[in-house]
Amino acid sequence: MDLSPKTRMLLRHETVLLAVLLAELIFFGVAGRNFGTPDNLANIVRHSVEIGLLALVMMPVVLAGGIDLSVGSTVGLCAVLFGKLWRDGGLPWEVAAVATLGIGATAGGVNALLITALRLPPLIVTLGTYSLFRGLAEAITHGTDAFTRFPPSFLFLGTGRIAGIPAQAWIFMLVAAAMWLLVHRTTFGRSWRAIGFAPEGARYAGLPVGRRLAFAHMLAGIVAALAAITYTARFGTAKADAGTGYELAAITAVVLGGTSIFGGIGSVHGTLLGVAAIAVLGNGLSRVPATMSSAGELSGLLTGVLLVLALAGGAVPKWFAERRSRKARAPVPP
Amino acid sequence: MLKRHFREFSVLGVLLSVLALLGVFAPDFFAPQPLLSRLTAAAPKLVVACGIAMVIISRQIDISVGSLFAVCSVVCGLVAAAKMPLPLAIASAIAAGAIGGALNGALVAGLRLPSIVVTLATMVTLREGLRLAQQGVFIDLPDGLQWIGLPMIGGQYLVCGIALTVLAAMAAVMRHLAIGRAVYAVGSDAEAARLAGIRPRLITFVVFVLMGALTGLAAVMNVVQSPQVDPNTGRMLELEAIAAAVVGGVAVSGGRGNLGGVLVGFLLLACITPALTYIGVKPYWDKAIQGAVILLAVVADGLRNRKNGR
Repeated sequence: MDLSPKTRMLLRHETVLLAVLLAELIFFGVAGRNFGTPDNLANIVRHSVEIGLLALVMMPVVLAGGIDLSVGSTVGLCAVLFGKLWRDGGLPWEVAAVATLGIGATAGGVNALLITALRLPPLIVTLGTYSLFRGLAEAITHGTDAFTRFPPSFLFLGTGRIAGIPAQAWIFMLVAAAMWLLVHRTTFGRSWRAIGFAPEGARYAGLPVGRRLAFAHMLAGIVAALAAITYTARFGTAKADAGTGYELAAITAVVLGGTSIFGGIGSVHGTLLGVAAIAVLGNGLSRVPATMSSAGELSGLLTGVLLVLALAGGAVPKWFAERRSRKARAPVPP
Repeated sequence: MLKRHFREFSVLGVLLSVLALLGVFAPDFFAPQPLLSRLTAAAPKLVVACGIAMVIISRQIDISVGSLFAVCSVVCGLVAAAKMPLPLAIASAIAAGAIGGALNGALVAGLRLPSIVVTLATMVTLREGLRLAQQGVFIDLPDGLQWIGLPMIGGQYLVCGIALTVLAAMAAVMRHLAIGRAVYAVGSDAEAARLAGIRPRLITFVVFVLMGALTGLAAVMNVVQSPQVDPNTGRMLELEAIAAAVVGGVAVSGGRGNLGGVLVGFLLLACITPALTYIGVKPYWDKAIQGAVILLAVVADGLRNRKNGR
């Protein structure tokens, strides 16, 4: 198709998504009660930090052509072990938090080892660890135990504000900036794109494919542990069910944000827009009187529909192009 | 035979040793009544696992079956509660499953979208749509529906019999009919299958529709076991079904596996939890063990493939 650069820019996934986000903001600003207040906006940010963190690290994994279904379970396992280290291990929470990051790295390392060393498909490996990590969290807490009464200095992380902005939002912005630089401004990050685009080609070009994939999965584990810490600080309790279903939300945000599920295409800012679109939708629906009572179900439903539309939106033009080229080329020479 | 199906026979060996251990340490396990009840409760899972095995053999995946299972259960319950005849309730549940499967199939085969994301999306959409429509309310079933009006033992034999019939039929189709072989061909190499005159996208679509219909049937088999329909049913079903298939030797890279293996994998997973309970492991270890068994099975496959130089 012959499109001017300007039209192409307008049709870019991120631009369309930005328009959707703005439309959401305007709609809920008009129709919702107290939607646009600073308190509510801070609330949206506070509630989307964990899913946002997971989406940020899911993005390189998907960009490199893989998937990680275990991040939500890693959040649960890390939250429980963090509570265990702090309460039963008697460690100060700062030390326990650092140790938890190490646990997250180990969890990611298990995925990385199975996927890269044994060349097993990431889908089935992380499906197994999805069950294993959540199961370990349940086994450690006997399914019912919960860790509470964390010190105020720790809870500040989840409920306090620094310079008027929720404390955990600073962590999120730091991670987001780091991920953007890593993916878009370093050769290291670009290698994920190359691997996702053509794994064999990347290997022939001399990239250490296994090590790069392993790093992406370990990064996912570490940041999932970070999400477990902010999650615990926000709710004030660490339970085995922390982060249930978050892997779906994170994948949805990544795909909605324009990262191709086949790998090779995607951007960190697109992912951020995807996270924002989902977060605003969920909060906005709970502010509109007509949808207030069933906001949870409705936002889940719309997120699923949005995901299908985003996928189909990318595939339909390709489908037409394929048909056209098939007609043009027929009959195909043997 | 032994060499070709080494994978299946090794799982069978594990299953037999678990059963032998149970026989020695917990002979109560084999008392007919709790055993029959346990098998009946698990029978719908076997039907779903048969479908999942077929989907995985065609090199796809379907994680929406748990949500679809809940939708079909509610459809069956609503039709039955509206005093419609029983066959209509059963047919509508199976039809609802087939429609859900057709939606997945159209997106995967028609638009060439990856099945993992498509079924992830339908999983969330169906589950949340159901929550929105039903608000978690249980449906009371009319009197005649439980065990389809049979006495309990008869109903239990019927449910188990249906599950085994489905398994046998699927095994025969996959092994002996052209369409079954086409599923293997598409799963091994879709392009080669196309050049051999098979239509891979049509096959994929049919596989998903059949998966949906089997999910609907499984939902009916579950609904008739209790006097009420729980709209939250079917959570984790996709995981348990995939686990049974993978443990039974169905390769996630497609094109390999058979229904006999699925039965063995299903029985092994079904026995492990009670076996561990008998030796004193607490039930909250269930999910961790389930995950560990899946990982063990894929690691074993991975090591074997590496040894064979693939």
